[in-house]
Parts: sequence; C-alpha cells; structure tokens
Amino acid sequence: MDPHVLVIGGGIAGIASALELANAGLTVHLVEKEAAIGGRAASLCCKATDVCSECSVCVVAQKIREAAIHPRISLLTNSVVRRVSGERGDFHVEIAEKPRFIDPERCIACGVCAELCPAEPKAVCLPSAEAVPFSYVLDERLCLRSRGQDCDLCRESCPTKAIEFEPAGRRRELTVAAIVVATGFEVFDARGKGSLGYGRYPNVLTGLDLEETFNREGCLRLPSNGKEPRNVAFVQCVGSRDESHGYCSQVCCKYAVRLARLINYQIPDAQVTIFYIDLQTAGKGFVQFYEECREKVRFVRGVPVEITQTPSGELEVKLENISQGKASRELFDLVVLSVGIAPRKDSWDLASILGINLGDCGFFDTSEPLNSTKTNVDGVFLAGTCQGPKDIPDSMGHGMAAASKVIQALGVQAR
Amino acid sequence: MTEAKIGVFICDCGGAMKNIDFPTIKGELDAIADVASVNLSSDLCLEEGRAKMLSCIKDENIDRVVVAACAPQLKEHVFQQVLRSAALNSYLMSMADIREQCSWAHEGDVTTKACGLIKMAIGRARLLQPVEQKDLLVKQEVLLVGGGFSAMSSAIQLSRLGLHTTLLVGDSALGVRSRELEELLGLEVAPMTEAIDRDKNIEIVTSAELVGMEGTAGNFAVRIRKGGEEFVQSFGAIIFATGPRTEILPQDPGSKSSTRIVSQERLARWLRASSPQPRPRSVAFVFDSSDECSRLPTLVTLNNALAVKRSWGSEVYVFCKNVKVDSEGAEELYHQARERGVVFLKFEDSPGISIEDGLVRIEAKDVLLGQDATLTCDVVVAEEKVSPAAGTDDLRSLLNVRTDSRGFLQDDNVHLYPVASERKGIFFVGDCRGDLDAARIVADVSSAVMGAHELLARGRITVEAERVKVDPQKCRACLTCIRVCPHSAIQLVRIDSEREVAEISDLACDACGICAGICPAKAIAFQGYSDEQILAQIEVLKAS
Amino acid sequence: MSREIIAFCCEHSATPAANLAGRLGLHYSENLRLIPVPCAGRVDVVHILKAFEKGAAAVLVLGCEDGACHHIEGNTRARERVRYSRTLLEEIGIDGRRVGMFNLAPDTPHKFLDIVNETNETLKELGGGK
Repeated sequence: MDPHVLVIGGGIAGIASALELANAGLTVHLVEKEAAIGGRAASLCCKATDVCSECSVCVVAQKIREAAIHPRISLLTNSVVRRVSGERGDFHVEIAEKPRFIDPERCIACGVCAELCPAEPKAVCLPSAEAVPFSYVLDERLCLRSRGQDCDLCRESCPTKAIEFEPAGRRRELTVAAIVVATGFEVFDARGKGSLGYGRYPNVLTGLDLEETFNREGCLRLPSNGKEPRNVAFVQCVGSRDESHGYCSQVCCKYAVRLARLINYQIPDAQVTIFYIDLQTAGKGFVQFYEECREKVRFVRGVPVEITQTPSGELEVKLENISQGKASRELFDLVVLSVGIAPRKDSWDLASILGINLGDCGFFDTSEPLNSTKTNVDGVFLAGTCQGPKDIPDSMGHGMAAASKVIQALGVQAR
Repeated sequence: MTEAKIGVFICDCGGAMKNIDFPTIKGELDAIADVASVNLSSDLCLEEGRAKMLSCIKDENIDRVVVAACAPQLKEHVFQQVLRSAALNSYLMSMADIREQCSWAHEGDVTTKACGLIKMAIGRARLLQPVEQKDLLVKQEVLLVGGGFSAMSSAIQLSRLGLHTTLLVGDSALGVRSRELEELLGLEVAPMTEAIDRDKNIEIVTSAELVGMEGTAGNFAVRIRKGGEEFVQSFGAIIFATGPRTEILPQDPGSKSSTRIVSQERLARWLRASSPQPRPRSVAFVFDSSDECSRLPTLVTLNNALAVKRSWGSEVYVFCKNVKVDSEGAEELYHQARERGVVFLKFEDSPGISIEDGLVRIEAKDVLLGQDATLTCDVVVAEEKVSPAAGTDDLRSLLNVRTDSRGFLQDDNVHLYPVASERKGIFFVGDCRGDLDAARIVADVSSAVMGAHELLARGRITVEAERVKVDPQKCRACLTCIRVCPHSAIQLVRIDSEREVAEISDLACDACGICAGICPAKAIAFQGYSDEQILAQIEVLKAS
Repeated sequence: MSREIIAFCCEHSATPAANLAGRLGLHYSENLRLIPVPCAGRVDVVHILKAFEKGAAAVLVLGCEDGACHHIEGNTRARERVRYSRTLLEEIGIDGRRVGMFNLAPDTPHKFLDIVNETNETLKELGGGK
C-alpha cells in the first residue's frame, strides 16, 4: 500500500508539497484551519501592467484548483491537528474539525442563503470569490440566532439542505508515514509601529491592504475620500530587519516595486516614492523590471520615523533622508507600509504537539543548515514560510523539496 | 457516421438562476433532432443529481453529453466521472457555463443567451470524438549535466529513489570548482564525491560535453563527446546543473594587473594559506555597484569579510549600493560583520579605484555620511559579476529552450518556476538558471529530483493518445508546426520511402493547439478544439 | 449584422477572469459569447473571419499577459494572427477595429469588464453591438 502523508497547512507551500506527493503516488491529507485552502498567497493581487510582472499570484489559483480535484489529495478544511504520536512510518494523528454550519460537500454556492440572510452584515458569505472548496460559510457571531432570535431563513431555504444549526465538531484519526509542516506566516501587525499611524489615519495602509484593494476593486482609491491618489509613499522594512525581526522578509521590496509600477500604470501622473534601507532587487527576472521602474518611481534611501496627519488630511512623513544626511519632511496623500513576514504566534502550539524546535526568530528550526526542510524529529518536514521568509516561487520550491525529502525518507523506490 | 444521441443536462443550481426560464429552454432544445433527452435538475453536481444523470445516460443510450451548469473549472471533473461510470469516454462531454458566464454576469432575463450557450455546447458535442489513454515506456535513466554541488546532490537523491543517473562532467573530475566554492558558501563537497564513488546507481563521465540531443521526454537521445569520440545514449530525463561563471568586472585600465586588486576566490585561497605574508592591514570589498543582481556576491563578501577579520584582524571596508540580504541567514551575517567592526559604506555611483604609491585608493560619495570618502587600502577585493556559464547560449539553441533577460537558462515565465523548462523532462537547477544562494540551490535540487521521479518512477507513463494529431495524408512536411511548438513536441518521421511527415509526441505535447492554429495545410486536429468543433460554436450565431 | 461579440478566451486567463467577474457580480453586456480555447495561440485567422461571416459585430482574442503565457508565446502568436486578420477585414471593407487582441491575468475580473465595455464603446461608433 502506498503510504499516507499529512500536510499541515493549505497555503501555497503545503499545496505544492501535497501535489508532488500525490503525483508520486502517495495519499495526502491536507489539513487547513480556515474554511478554504490557498492561504495568504490566495488573497494577493495580480500586479501585471501591460506585461506580466512575475509576482506568481496567478500560479497560486491554478495550484489550488489542481489540489482540489486531485484524486489522491483529501482536503480537511476548518480543521486543526490536536495530537500526534508515533514515529516515522507510523504517526498517529488526531485532527479536530471545527463545527461547520454549512456542509461544503452539499453546498453548491447558489447564494440563496446569503440573499435571504437578514443579519447586517450578512452572516453567510463566501470566504472569497475563488474559494476552494467553493462553499458558503456561516459566521456564528453575526448570525441572528446568536442574539437569541429564532431565525431559520437560510436553513429553510437551502435547496440542498446543506445547513445545520447545531453541528457537532468531528474528530478524525489518521495514520500517516510522514508529516509536512507548512503553516505559513503572520503578516506583521503594523499597529506595532505606532508612530507610523496605521489604524489611526485612514490613508495609511499596509501592502496587504493594497493587495486586497486591487483584488476587490481592480484599482486604487484613497480610503478617506474615494479619490485617486496623487502622491504615494511606500515605507520599506516595516517589521523586518529591526531589533525584534533579525531577518529580511524577502518579499516586501519586490511587492512594493511591483505595486508602485501598477499604481503608476493605472494613474500615470501619480508620483510614487519608495523609502528603503537596502533594495532587494536580486532574483530571476527582477533586475530588469526594477531598471524599468526607476524611470517612473522615485527611490529614496531613508526610513520614515513618524507619520502624522495634517489638518487638511495629508500625511506628513518625517524621515532621516540618508542621501542628504538630514532630517526632512514630505507630504503624501497615501502611505503604504511594506509589512513583512512574521512567524506565526501559534507556532509554539504545533511545535509542542510535534516536538519540533523553534529558532531564534520564531520560525520552525531546521536541524541541518543546508537542508532547510529537515527538523529534529525524523519523519517531520518543513515547507514554506513557516521555516523563514519566502516569496511564492520559493515557497513552492520549498514545498516540492519537502515532498522530495519525504519520499526519500520513506524509501519510495522506482519500479 | 451515425447520428449522435445527445443528452442535455441542465442544472439551475438550486433555483439560484432566477433570470433564466428553464422550461422555455427545454422546449427549444427538445426540438433539436439529435438531442435525445433534455433534463432539468437543481442539484446535478450532488450525489442524487449525478445518479439521475448516470441512469439517464444509460437508459437512453446517450453517446454525447452536454452539461449546462456552473463554470467548468468547478465541477467538470465530477461530471467526467459520471461519464466514465457510464462507460462513456470523458471527452464526449461539452459544458455550457450558464451560471458565472450568464446568469450571474448580466442583469435581467437571460434566457435567450443561456439557450444560445447551450446550443453552442451542443454544436461542439455533436462532433466530439473519444480520446483514449495509453501507457508509454520511459527510460529510467537521468542525465545530469554538471559536476558541482547541485549535480552531485541531485545524483545522490535520485539514487536514493532507485533511479540510475549519469553525471556528465566538463572538468576532469567531480567538484573541481565546487571545492573552491566550499569555503565561500559553506557547501561541503568532499563527502559527496566519496558517496558518489561508492554508489552503483551513479555513473560519471568526465571531460565530456553534450553536443546533441534528439527525442522527447522519456526518451532523449543524447550525443556526448568525450576525448575525440562521440556516442549516443538514451535518457528519460535531463537535469542541467551547470554552475555560474563569475568574473571580475572591468577596473580602471591603469590598475588591471595589480596584485592588490584581487578576486574573492584569490582572497579565499590566500586566507586558506597557512601564513600569508605580509598580512594586509586593510581590506576593502566592492560589490553591488554596476551589477545589482548581487545576491551571491553579497553572501561571498560577508563570509570573506568575516574571515578576514577572524584570520588577519585587518580593517575591513565594504563598498556597495545595497546589501542584498534576501536570502536565508544573510541578515544575520550582515549583523555579525558589523558587530566585528566591518565598516559598510553605501554609495550610489560606482567608486573610483586607482593605485597610488603601491596602495589602492578608493573614492566614493558615501550616502550615509553624505560626503566624499577617500580610502587607501592594502587590498581591494573587486566587484564580481555572476553570469551564465560559458556555452549557455549554445546549449539554449541545442535544447531549443529560452534563456532569461540576463542570459541564464530558463525563460522568465512564472509558470516554469522553480525548475521546469518549456520542455517536459528537462530541468534547470541552481546557478545555471540564475545566481542562487545555497538554500535556494538545495531546494532546486530536490524539486528537480521530484520532477524526474514523477516522470520515470513507474517506467511507463499514462498519456492521452493522439489528442492532438497530425493527419499524415494532409501533412506537407513544411515544418511550420515543428518550428512553432513551444514544447518541442513535434518531430519529422518517415512513413515510407517517399515521405516524411510531422508527428506529435503524446508525452511532450502540452495541448496548447498553437500548431493546429498555424498549420497551413490544416492537417492538425486537436480533439475538443478542432476547427470544426470551434466553428460549430460560431455557427450558432446565425441560427439565433 | 448581429450584435454579438465573440470572445475567444484562453482557459488559463480570460476564462477564469470571466468566471470571477460573474461571481463578484460585475455585470457586463449580454452580447458577449465566450468560446474557451486552451491557449490564445489556438485561435486561427479562419475562426476570426468565420465569426464575422456568421454575423458577429466584433471578435476578441483574450490571452495571458505578455510574458505569462503557459505556452511561452501563444499570446504573441495570437496577436500576430489578429493583426493579420485585421488587414484581411479591412480589405473586404470591415473596420479593423472590430477585431481585438487583449492580454489579462486570470485574477483580473475588472480588466475583463473593461475590455468588454471598451469593445461595446467601439461598437457604438461602428454600429452593431449593444
């Protein structure tokens, strides 16, 4: 019998890993704690102008779909790993599926429930327009029933009887030969840098906010008044390369340059400025792209230390302009904080369940310096950003590498 | 050909498509002669709906299926399964997306459009032909081109999976250049060469080069030149793992031959020597000034700067535009270097380097201090550029693949990342596809090993037989298709003493249809997207 | 001439973009008929001309962004063919603006909408369309 493998985390690294393992003939259980797979990368936007800017976001949707229909991958969404025992070749895993009000096996995403839901905002919704599984979810906190009302509209009207109000959580037990940990990262919370005004001023956004805006609206407008921004600043290294984050997040320079180019493409007379410490322009295909951007985008070496809002609503950025060797102030109508990749705060829980180590920076630790998929526990492997910052192609590569190490460890042999 | 018996299955998605009048559509479709059955459902994708669909196909002897429902990308595989259960080839189905592309895309009543879309699908379905699957034998041998770290670790990993490999090494032995890199990047090569020597699954051909290649994935015929002789060997997959070429960027003409301006490699050798005399008092490094893709030079510089501090205790200065720390552990190295007293000077314009009184003089405008800085040093480690290995361009044309904007192997196309090429069975790993740091190289190796394993592990691979096919009667052997196929899947084969015609490899073909679009003789049929099947959909326009 | 726009849509880019538009409730004009193709490079000049013969008001070929074609250059080949069919159309007295090649990514439904709207705008001027 071909071995079974557990992949924890349905982001792009976990999916890449699962696909490789499944294609190699193994059976994969892909556990995802959210209702839909795809992880963080699935919420990012295409950054193409008239040409592809190679952000790889479109590859993610394609891989998600491949995983969704692969006969040897079973998706366990809305689920978390509770307990693991055993050893390589024979791990016993307990998985808890959180109570689910809408059965994704029966939901046909017709949208009848959402149409009828009287709650404001609606308690039933799709996690995203591209969600896989493409199924509605019910948010208990928003449901009128949680406020003691006896609403039954969605359940009553569901044409496939997919809704149940008192679902029991399910427990699953699996026996797997190996485990791939691909739990991803947390986006640095920009509120942690209070002086930069995120959460206080409407026109201070994070890179992720911008990605989601482009995805939702297809264009960029000022959150405060809905007008086109004229003067946009990107602030690099927010939550990277500082006292508490002793690493480069590896993605922010690239997404900032790509987003800057996209803004400039959509709003040609907008001035976009990028404030940076060191620009990370290495990488396949990127240098040429960066050179092209330099014609349009202003690059300033310096790190803003404080952002305040003027009475007229503009944002005043105070920075140490290193090139001119003095402190200066500049006005912008939109400031984007290029937030970095931070380790997940709940990594500790999984580390103790699996017995694997966390490194100094808070990411899962590897036991061999040059084999970054290997952990201190035989049979448990790492994939993607849970091990350290990576962009989409690197995460996919790392996921594939983890799959490769799994089949080597399990002694899968060519026939 | 006997008339098709078309079964149409329409799903209103639980009643969600209120702007479509389904009974009207059914009435209209029922009138079409070869439509044997029109079924309305509300839950076609669910078990109960599929069961009804299955029994209808069986009961009515349906041989072409049209499903009008949600977007094919969602449930097409589910409906294909129903066809297979009914012992029908899954290619005999055509889908009309009446939800995402019709009901949800427009306001107001869209019954006419929905009906039109279904008729388009019927027109296509009528002409569909089955596509069978078949197994092709693949040669369970992998060729690894390169003799460095990436090639060696690929071979070791493939051997672990039971695949036989041949290492094609240009140098006279394995790992010649890697030993030099060993200290620069911390790669350990010696244990690998020993492991390979013991491994019966790995063969080594040294002082040899690849001079020709024919065939497709699963069975490449590779021409190898060794000594004065050439021989042809067959491989199922090929992994290119040739290293990069590093060269010192041109310096000021006057200072070219100076022993005070050295390469990283020379410095590393110097550091290795037991008692270098005299020890330089001050060493300056330059990188990331004219080549801004300097991830590898950054890592090498940081490692060497620390080594200089450790071994010689010299003053160390680093001149660069940006410190490229976007690789694993780089920021930590940068921190260490600064803690040990390495001084980083960042500049925008390339620094001027000249020799003065036997010492090296560096002039640059330091952006951190905002002033001109002039420094005199004993030794300058000059900026190096990492470029594609010599012969990459020849390899590119030999393999019929593309290089990226900097001339490295592998096109700049996200769908190929990390290690694929536009040709199945050909992989690029490590520094032949860009300057990668050690962590990325290691990941690349494992990815390519996975790709080769997937292709070769079973000794045979299942493909769709003749989905895209050249009609030998119509082919005039004009070579147009061979020229345009992005996956090099088409070859000329001899069919008799008179004629050669184009033939498509079912394994190498990626079913894009570019060949079918361009063939001047219209000799290429693409099942599901043939000219007739596409035109049948257009035909409906006039009818509506 | 009918008012229909025939859109040959690459299954890697334009087709998913159209689906997303539907799911997001981004409405566009009903006169668009989408014909999925595995790659824009599959589209032949004959297909384009046939569509006009059958009375299409406009024909669109929608492929991946430049540099992102799954088949490396299917989109650029499609562009060449669209350009060529434009010259053929002009020769027989059909305004060349009725055929267009556009590039978009699978996750850009707004761009899909812009293309459809833009085409309808052109048709307003040329006659036919919505």
